[in-house]
Amino acid sequence: MCAMRLTGYADKFSVHPGDEIKFYVNCDGPAEFKAEIVQMIHGDTNPRGPGFIEKPVEAAANGTYKGRKQIIHGGSYGYVEDAPQFHVESFTLQCYIWPTTPKTHPRYWKHGAQGLVTKWMDGKGYGLFINEEGCLELRINGHKITTGAPIRDHAWHFVAATFDAATGDVTLYHEPQVVYALDPVIEPVKTRIKTTIEHTEAPVALAAYVEKISDDPLGASSLPVGVWFTGKYNGKIDSPRILKKALSRFEIEQMKLGAQPGLTERRNSGPTGELSGLIVAAWDFWDGISTLKAKDNGPYRFDAQLVNCPTRALTGYNWSGQNFDWKYAKKEYGGIHFHDDDVDNARWSEDVVWTVPEDIKSRFYALKVTTTDGDEDYLPFWVVPKIGKEQSKIAVMVPTISYMAYANEHVACNAGGAELFVYRVPIMQHQNMFLAEHREYGGSIYDTHTDGSGICMSSRLRPILSIRPKYDHFLAQAPWQYPADLHLIYWLEQMGYEYDVITDEDVTYDGLARLENYNVVITGSHPEHNSGTQLDALHNYTQRGGRLMYMGADAWYWVHSYHPAYDDIGRGVITEMRRCESGIRTWRAEPGEYYHQGTGELGGMWRFRGRSLYSVAGVGMTNEGFDISTYYSRTPDSNDPRVAFAFEGISYDEPLGNFGLVGGGCAGLELDIVDVTLGSPPHTLAVATSAGRHTEAYLLVMEDFGFNQQGLDGTVHPRVRGDVAFHETPNGGACFSFSSIAFCGSLPWNNGDNNISKLVGNVLNHFMQDGPLPQPPADAIKHRGRADYESPALASTAS
Amino acid sequence: MIPIPKKGTPEREAMIKEHRECVDSMKGVAGFSVLKCETPGDTTVVTGGVHENPDLRRVLLRMRGESPKGKLVVICTKIDAEWRIGRLSGVRGVPPEFVNDKVYTCEQEIQHDIFLMRLDELPETAGMPEHFTEGWKHRDDNWPVT
Repeated sequence: MCAMRLTGYADKFSVHPGDEIKFYVNCDGPAEFKAEIVQMIHGDTNPRGPGFIEKPVEAAANGTYKGRKQIIHGGSYGYVEDAPQFHVESFTLQCYIWPTTPKTHPRYWKHGAQGLVTKWMDGKGYGLFINEEGCLELRINGHKITTGAPIRDHAWHFVAATFDAATGDVTLYHEPQVVYALDPVIEPVKTRIKTTIEHTEAPVALAAYVEKISDDPLGASSLPVGVWFTGKYNGKIDSPRILKKALSRFEIEQMKLGAQPGLTERRNSGPTGELSGLIVAAWDFWDGISTLKAKDNGPYRFDAQLVNCPTRALTGYNWSGQNFDWKYAKKEYGGIHFHDDDVDNARWSEDVVWTVPEDIKSRFYALKVTTTDGDEDYLPFWVVPKIGKEQSKIAVMVPTISYMAYANEHVACNAGGAELFVYRVPIMQHQNMFLAEHREYGGSIYDTHTDGSGICMSSRLRPILSIRPKYDHFLAQAPWQYPADLHLIYWLEQMGYEYDVITDEDVTYDGLARLENYNVVITGSHPEHNSGTQLDALHNYTQRGGRLMYMGADAWYWVHSYHPAYDDIGRGVITEMRRCESGIRTWRAEPGEYYHQGTGELGGMWRFRGRSLYSVAGVGMTNEGFDISTYYSRTPDSNDPRVAFAFEGISYDEPLGNFGLVGGGCAGLELDIVDVTLGSPPHTLAVATSAGRHTEAYLLVMEDFGFNQQGLDGTVHPRVRGDVAFHETPNGGACFSFSSIAFCGSLPWNNGDNNISKLVGNVLNHFMQDGPLPQPPADAIKHRGRADYESPALASTAS
Repeated sequence: MIPIPKKGTPEREAMIKEHRECVDSMKGVAGFSVLKCETPGDTTVVTGGVHENPDLRRVLLRMRGESPKGKLVVICTKIDAEWRIGRLSGVRGVPPEFVNDKVYTCEQEIQHDIFLMRLDELPETAGMPEHFTEGWKHRDDNWPVT
């Protein structure tokens, strides 16, 4: 139904002048494509705005390139290259499993058998599988032996199989770890097969099996190159073992202990001397959780390479509910959850390479790719100045972690409740249609995997079709994130400001050095997802006199970390988050699974790590709704001389921003307010508010109440509003917060001639001046409490 | 739980009329709600619709909370120019399919047609005990799940 024949990505988000950037393009059909570097100015095609604007850039890379199809081999698995020790005559295979989709719908995108522990390809070899009917299956060459008992989903099972080559005896065990009153007993299946295992060069596969090994060019993006894996398993596996003998049930029980690497005075690597000699591989998934290796603690060290970053730091079959941090109970965290739609890296071959000129301006850019048939895609990137070679007094901090969090989001077609968020029927763009079919492009951190479990990691090394111009998001029926931030870029260009761009990634890795040479840092419209070092840098910047303009809402909300196992291929390749005990969550982490697998830190909301979102720029998110927006009105605080600079040329009574390209007003989607009890500095001025104007689609965030109750929506709840806010920071610094995701959508209105543009221009002109900002009036220096020492419950309205 | 109003009843006709007026008033807004803009295409003052018609509000909530399997959705076929009605498969990896050939040139107008289709498709007692299925026991509404 929907063909996007051109897709691609770059090897970097941010690139320095003088450095090289590579682009990977899938051109599925057309013989060639045209590539042009363009500067991105405005990405919104709404006819009530300035329309789509790009600027051509002269570049050596511009030209026509030969097209080729490139595919993503999605789905996670582990593999070990073929080795003589795997060429067994007899064997025992065993592991624990917690399958999530043992049986799938016939139209499901990867319907069919799933591999568990396999050394099997094209009817040769051996392996444990779940078959198409959802039952445990042993394959020995072309023989298939099954229990015929459907495996319960979302429950632990112990499974094992033995084969004695001498006798042909086969035993298949399926032992559910959770048994209910009316469950039939599953007896071990015993049979006899006279066969000799045929061995191939196929790798051992965990959570998959090998379909073929070929030199088909499309296999170049698989790992290992040329090996095509299929039967990608959905669910957890724990403690897989391969032994070269058909063990007794008692020996199988002993082998659950694994290779016992922790014993002292050891003489061998097994639970017993005899078993030691039989171990081919005994993987301990609890060992090396922050790595991409599944550790084999057996004698041959057949560590499995994990591909497409399955989820780790998850509870194993033996989790006791006593420890909640995997770092302190590793052996209870031996579950690796594999998903058939995991993707960590598309691994495409490069098509276009550009050496960025030394004298180029730091701006939003993209590689525009087109064909003569009308195909088109944009591969965005940002040219970021080297530290010490800043080009402007103004920096725009591009919220790339948040872009990654929303990357290739599927909510409109997956979630029954999506319409309840947006209060209308969602609109799917052609990117959404493509993604609905191509789940191998991976989802966003807002989605659940194809098996229903939450997605907690997102890679930038894949085509991200939501980071595109001309893309309206279903949440807003308007631009969101990247194209919405282009509203701001259009305005800066239109008003003639010189500005640099830096990304979350740069600030995360380089800290304050990325910020301190700017007079003012401007955020994007929705910098919701942040690393700890980024927040440190922002605090250090504003405390030392830096000025921060927070252009949106719902920022500084979720804990993110870049997965260190990918540091060798670039900065910020994979970002990880967990949706823990509170916050707006489109899925919820399971008990005991709140800690990041990469850095080991506690995930969830920064607020629940004791780092209030209100402390960064003086406001915090309290509500969201996605139908339509409204406008701000000035408050008495706006008459304070401390903030007079912001309202020059704006009358007290005029509606602020009752127009815009996002929801029809500047106050909408998600909104922040001032709350000095939650971290807004006590001297914060709330200079404008949208109180009382939101629709019933706007609801109070759940972290702000502890008891379900009526009266949480925008027509009645006092905290369902946005507050524009200002406060000074030490050493002549300050923060100005506009507190609405829709806000930047009003900037381009009437080509930038409007009162929101005026307000933002006043603030920017004030904030970008050299040296510390003027001191506030002397009487502004005074002692302030948080609630002024008065309980809100006792406050008198007649004060 | 409020019943879906039957065809030909005054309640149903009143809901359709109100919905129609809201849709018309929202044309030009970069967003949408079943509310009436006092000035068409301008959200400065909005009234009516779900804020003032509790039955319409509840019927819409019922429709919006349906399972994604077979749910109607809008598909943009030309950016900011053309839209069509599709139906979600409810199966991961199986994209929505168009339900008919009608092409809309207004992204708001299509909201009204989907409302009418849902009124026809949902039985009066949708969601009530006579429609109990095994799926109720394993969250097949998919309501909170993405």
